[in-house]
Amino acid sequence: MSDDKNEKKIHGMVAEFTSVDTLLPACRRVRDAGYTKTDAYAPFAVHGIDEALGIKPTVLPWLALGGGLAGTCTALAMQVWMNGIDYPYIISGKPYVLSLPAFIPVAFELTILFASFCTFFGMWALNGLPRFSNPIFTDPRFDRVTDDRFFLYIDSKDKNFDVKGVEKLLADTGSDYINTVVEDDTPTKIPKFLIIGLCILIGASIIPALIVAKMRVTNSDKPRFHIFPDMDYSPARDAQQTTTLFADNRAMRPDVPGTVARGQMPVDLDFLTGIDMETFSQLDSDRAERLVATKLTAIAAEGDAPAASEAPAKSVMDTTPWLDRNPLEITEAVVRQGQTQFNIYCSVCHGMDGRGNGLVNQRAQKIMATAWIPPSSVHQEALYSDQYPDGKLFNTISNGIRKMPGYSAQIKVQDRWAIVAYVRALQQSQNASIDLVPSSQLAKVERQKNKVDKQLKEAAEAERKKEEERAAKAAEK
Amino acid sequence: MSLAIPNGLDNTVERPGERAPLVLGDTTYHDITETVCRVAETKPSKGWVIGFLVAFALFQWLGICIAYLIYTGVGVWGNQSPVFWGWPIVNFVFWVGIGHAGTLISAILFLFRQEWRTSINRAAEAMTIFAVVCAGTFPGIHIGRAWLAFWLAPYPSLNLWMWPQFRSPLLWDVFAVSTYGTVSLLFWYMGMVPDLATFRDRSKNKYRRMAYGILSLGWTGSSRHWMRYEKAYALLAAFAAPLVLSVHTIVSFDFAVSQVPGWHTTIFPPYFVAGAIFSGFAMVLTLMVPARSMLGLEKLITIRHLDNMCKIILATGSIVGLAYGTEFFIAWYGQVPDEQYAFINRAFGPYWWAYWTMVTCNVISPQLFWVKKFRTTPWIIVLITIFVNIGMWFERFVIVITSLSRDYLPSAWAYFTPTWVDFSMLIGSFGLFFTLFLLFCKLMPVINMAETKSTLAKQYHMAHASGDQSAHEEKH
Repeated sequence: MSDDKNEKKIHGMVAEFTSVDTLLPACRRVRDAGYTKTDAYAPFAVHGIDEALGIKPTVLPWLALGGGLAGTCTALAMQVWMNGIDYPYIISGKPYVLSLPAFIPVAFELTILFASFCTFFGMWALNGLPRFSNPIFTDPRFDRVTDDRFFLYIDSKDKNFDVKGVEKLLADTGSDYINTVVEDDTPTKIPKFLIIGLCILIGASIIPALIVAKMRVTNSDKPRFHIFPDMDYSPARDAQQTTTLFADNRAMRPDVPGTVARGQMPVDLDFLTGIDMETFSQLDSDRAERLVATKLTAIAAEGDAPAASEAPAKSVMDTTPWLDRNPLEITEAVVRQGQTQFNIYCSVCHGMDGRGNGLVNQRAQKIMATAWIPPSSVHQEALYSDQYPDGKLFNTISNGIRKMPGYSAQIKVQDRWAIVAYVRALQQSQNASIDLVPSSQLAKVERQKNKVDKQLKEAAEAERKKEEERAAKAAEK
Repeated sequence: MSLAIPNGLDNTVERPGERAPLVLGDTTYHDITETVCRVAETKPSKGWVIGFLVAFALFQWLGICIAYLIYTGVGVWGNQSPVFWGWPIVNFVFWVGIGHAGTLISAILFLFRQEWRTSINRAAEAMTIFAVVCAGTFPGIHIGRAWLAFWLAPYPSLNLWMWPQFRSPLLWDVFAVSTYGTVSLLFWYMGMVPDLATFRDRSKNKYRRMAYGILSLGWTGSSRHWMRYEKAYALLAAFAAPLVLSVHTIVSFDFAVSQVPGWHTTIFPPYFVAGAIFSGFAMVLTLMVPARSMLGLEKLITIRHLDNMCKIILATGSIVGLAYGTEFFIAWYGQVPDEQYAFINRAFGPYWWAYWTMVTCNVISPQLFWVKKFRTTPWIIVLITIFVNIGMWFERFVIVITSLSRDYLPSAWAYFTPTWVDFSMLIGSFGLFFTLFLLFCKLMPVINMAETKSTLAKQYHMAHASGDQSAHEEKH
């Protein structure tokens, strides 16, 4: 026992053991003697010592659970708020407020992270660590606790504590070394050089940040200081600069042949509207001007999208100087193109043959659609080119008429004119005589005609037979 | 004496009805302390100094390359259209994978109460931390403007007025790898505190005592502390186990979530995790076998430890081999022409040399471990595990480079060629890794003394159980 124990406050008594097998019975003995403010020290976790000393289980798992739940909630709230509410990222039409599958990985990671932090820091906090000054370290042999010795300690705060009694109890447990633990009188001051060193370090580490902060708010007539080249010096050339990259030494490159600048599209208004604009401007200059204005605006805004919805009144339609002739050069290719386009866009209502009985019309008749206006047959005389000029037909396709909507957004100008050409051909075909067929094709057409006639005859015959049978059956009854 | 073959170093002989001892010879608690502390307390050996200087030089070279890269731009790499990911990502995935064995040994083997882990887990965890440091370097400098890397963090930005995109696997990566690094660090440090206290208590030098005193947080070895400590350790192990599986799974999402043929497969997560464990164990062995003999730890890291790890390498190596086969099978079975082409191209296209290097090193070489002689002969183990590490680097190379260099459009095909900066950075990252590892060997407890002592205590206890008291009585 130390000599100066009277001068210093006694914290407790410690006994040394050499093995787990001597420590554990000693712990049980001390516990049974009624001491509660006790502790055992060992170089490793001794199993069974909790029970031997009467140590209660820890709340640490609950801390970890709380941390984990907090992590999950934080992660989900963060992602929902950041990516769904404050700055919605809309990707592939997926829900952006709670796209849970995509949020799982980060939620999982933060759950683990928070739970681990709670476990780690919670454990140290519950243990009262870090604590760099501890009276028990004053015991001269206590250094071996982290090597191969075991210690049993009884605190002087225990209500049963009295030096003689404890000493006897510990001696009975078979310990060779028993000592009182006294107050730690080593200086508690942090060495000066450490504090100064730390201050200098902190001070020095702030300097770069301060310099940057100052540079950000200070105006200067000198060029900016560049650590990283970044985008401030672009390698791109200016328009009028020279370069050695190209043979002509000009940095600015000429336009690629065929390039059309914005607003520089050549405009043929007759072609776009189907109206003889020159005559029109003489007849009604006001309306012609308005039409030109709307057309040019539409062109400037790219493409020939929604054209002027002039929807002129009937009288106006009649007075407009429509183009009489299709401005396209009519070739077989143009008519074929017109046929394709007609079959795509027009035949659904007007029918493949243009008689106005397309599938939409048939369906409308079947369901007896009340608001339905049957589409016109293109074969009525009022629609022939002498009464209904090509320009007017073009206008109808472009801007619509009655129930028919305008098709200028779907069909290109060129194709609309091609449709006009095809409609004319379709009209011609209905009342064509055999003389109109070129002699080179005459044989083929006649063959086809005979075939069709034969088929028609057979069909009529079959129909008649059926009729007769039905009549006979009715008579039998 | 039922404990061990006296002073023998071979504990791989199976003795029915008896557990093989984990600590060999007439080792006492104090012997363990002496063995481990001697490493840190004696002057470094010539071999250590030379090794450190070489590693440190390579590390400095990495630093110079990074400075050059950041100042000049990522064009100094071989990354070019269409292979924009190149070696940095190969290195990243490789290093993240290396890290996995550490957590696996310390967490999953702990949860399964595999006590043979106690003498290898410290070094393996250290390896994890250092591997994650190496891994973290690459995505950090790969983003082009490395000084804006903080844009990945979800912080209220006054410059951008926007948030990171949480549906991107690349951002999941940021969270996964940083969480993994942090939790591994906590786990590693917490496990070290009792041993740092041993260092503190043994140190004669004032500054040394102060440094270790601060690091050990005033640890006393109190039973109450030990009780909470053990609970915390078990909890952290339980958290780290799913974490380690999630990290490489998420790394594999970087590839699997894309549409590139050869990447867009559901097998990637398990296959990447198996590969990571495979390469991680190989790296542990590559490091531990030489360290064990140089630092004189043969009694603590026994042949049986090496044997067990070799068996894990054999198992995971076979899983990896199976995964390669499955990839081919699915490419054929899935009947997607681009996918089929991707795999035929891997094996027989312009990168056939990389593919067959990978197969030789990863599938064939670990099969040698079926032979017990190979599992128990240290120099053969080192040789095979080096092959495995090479093979696993090539696995990542094959996945990243071959898929990108030839995807859907033949017009977008190109052959990837690395530059000297690519080579320097790969070698330099090894310099960084070995610098940290050698410093760790010199400054920190390389073996978990406290846990090894507790397995020793159990060995004593077993001696009791069989009625042989003399085993430990003699020693005290």
